[in-house]
Amino acid sequence: MRTFAATLRYEFRMQVRKRSVWLVPALTVLLVLLIGGSLLRDLFDAAEGQTVAKAAMIQLGLQLSALLPIGYGCLLADRLIRDDRLRVAPVLDATPARPGVRLLGKYLGTAVATALPIVAIYAALAVAYAVHWGQPAALGWALASFGLMMVPGLLFVAAFALAVPLTMPAPLFRVLFVGYWIWGNLVPPDMMPTLTGSVIQPVGGYPVNALLDHYGMDGDLQLAGPVPGATLNFLRPEPTALAGWLSIAILLALAAAALAGGQALRTRRTR
Amino acid sequence: MRIEISGLTKTFRGRVAALDGLDLVIPTGMFGLLGANGAGKTTLMRILAGLMRPTKGRVTVGGHDIGTGAGRTAVQRTLGYLPQDLGVYPDLTARQFLDYVALLKGMDERTARRRRVAELLEVVALTENADRRLRGFSGGMRQRVGIAQALLADPQLLIVDEPTAGLDPEERIRFRTLLSQFAGRRTVLLSTHIVDDIAQTCREAAVLAKGRLIFRGTVDELTRRAEGQVWSVVTGGPAPPEGTVVSALPHETGMRYRIVAPTRPNPQAQPLEPSLEDGYIALTGAAQTTSRSSSSGATRPG
Repeated sequence: MRTFAATLRYEFRMQVRKRSVWLVPALTVLLVLLIGGSLLRDLFDAAEGQTVAKAAMIQLGLQLSALLPIGYGCLLADRLIRDDRLRVAPVLDATPARPGVRLLGKYLGTAVATALPIVAIYAALAVAYAVHWGQPAALGWALASFGLMMVPGLLFVAAFALAVPLTMPAPLFRVLFVGYWIWGNLVPPDMMPTLTGSVIQPVGGYPVNALLDHYGMDGDLQLAGPVPGATLNFLRPEPTALAGWLSIAILLALAAAALAGGQALRTRRTR
Repeated sequence: MRIEISGLTKTFRGRVAALDGLDLVIPTGMFGLLGANGAGKTTLMRILAGLMRPTKGRVTVGGHDIGTGAGRTAVQRTLGYLPQDLGVYPDLTARQFLDYVALLKGMDERTARRRRVAELLEVVALTENADRRLRGFSGGMRQRVGIAQALLADPQLLIVDEPTAGLDPEERIRFRTLLSQFAGRRTVLLSTHIVDDIAQTCREAAVLAKGRLIFRGTVDELTRRAEGQVWSVVTGGPAPPEGTVVSALPHETGMRYRIVAPTRPNPQAQPLEPSLEDGYIALTGAAQTTSRSSSSGATRPG
């Protein structure tokens, strides 16, 4: 436990101090606003009809989780390999601290630190909405949306961002990751074979439809479930509550597998 | 803490034998490990520190078999390791880095840990820079942080791999003094290709060449290997072809060479008292000759 706590604390501290961890999400949001994104309009313009706190917070979460994890994954890509790059790994590996526990501490410490700006942006907009419309319930819905929709996806992304660069240069991973994110989360399933709308989608479609029972302002926003004419529909069961929890469990299981694989690969290389 | 190595072999990718059937016993105290680049010193250090598993053979440290996970962990609890090319986290301060490593070494009690970190920063003369980020530290300062982290848990076994490479003369002396003061009833294994570091700090040493042990004994015994084989030669031209040139200094009539050769390299050569470096050269030169004879299938004269 002490190894885990120590690693988590110091990895968090080192990551949260990086300017890029704060600049990248801030610039992403700014860019979205500058190119005419509807983020603020949806929240504060009565004409847009976003006066229902639950819907507003979920929609806000969806917009943030569509784009911000791209920067999130890219920022985490060098966190595990840097111990070897900095040549600090031998000092750490020569301590009695168990490597698997250190990896877990590094994973959670860097994941939480890198997520902090995303949380800050979401929380700031949620608070602004709650104050503007006099709806404190928005804060509860923001918390629920973040926990069910965003957290599993961020943990999934963080695990792969740490592990996959063990097999390829970090810049190559970043390029492939951006491509994967667009293909696996944003490309419509009836356009080409894709993981969009499946239980393996980290954007959180199943929790939104199945657990938060949100289908958009007009009730027709289907983020999960089978799509007529699409391939890979066996990965898109009906969005029931069970499917919602299954999606979260699969993402977390895949994250654990990625970390275990990364640890095994690192052990094999160093021994 | 006694180290016993038996039949130790480490091969990489099934072909390159970094260590080849090494048998060695390292007693308590300062012990030097010499060898050229690629001799297997760092591989041996990494195996003893539990960073690498042997391909074959057995290693026990203080009675613990490092071939087992439990044995490795037990050794690492009493180990201080200063690797070759030490790296640090540039965004941490010296104090934070030492605190982090101390936590990983199991020093849970905050007050005692902080006190120990402060003590060691004082010992390595870094108290004034303790709260500066490590990215601003010179090579010598980083090495001092390195030795401080190795001493954190008051280890019974200290492994230092090429600790003085890149340090200025003053820092090298400070380093060596620190190591000697620390040794006492502990085992300090000093691996280096700087012979003078061994000469100044160790009573006993071993020499590796191509993964094999070619010498194990006292520093005096290694020095005596060059007895009758060290010569001073002054020439106005190139060095005599026979032997190995250890040093070359400008002289009013040309160059003064210090040469290690089994026989007088030229009629004007003057014999000299051997140093440890001469002994090392004599040993490794003889080892190369033996190796060449073996590989060419030469037979002994009848």
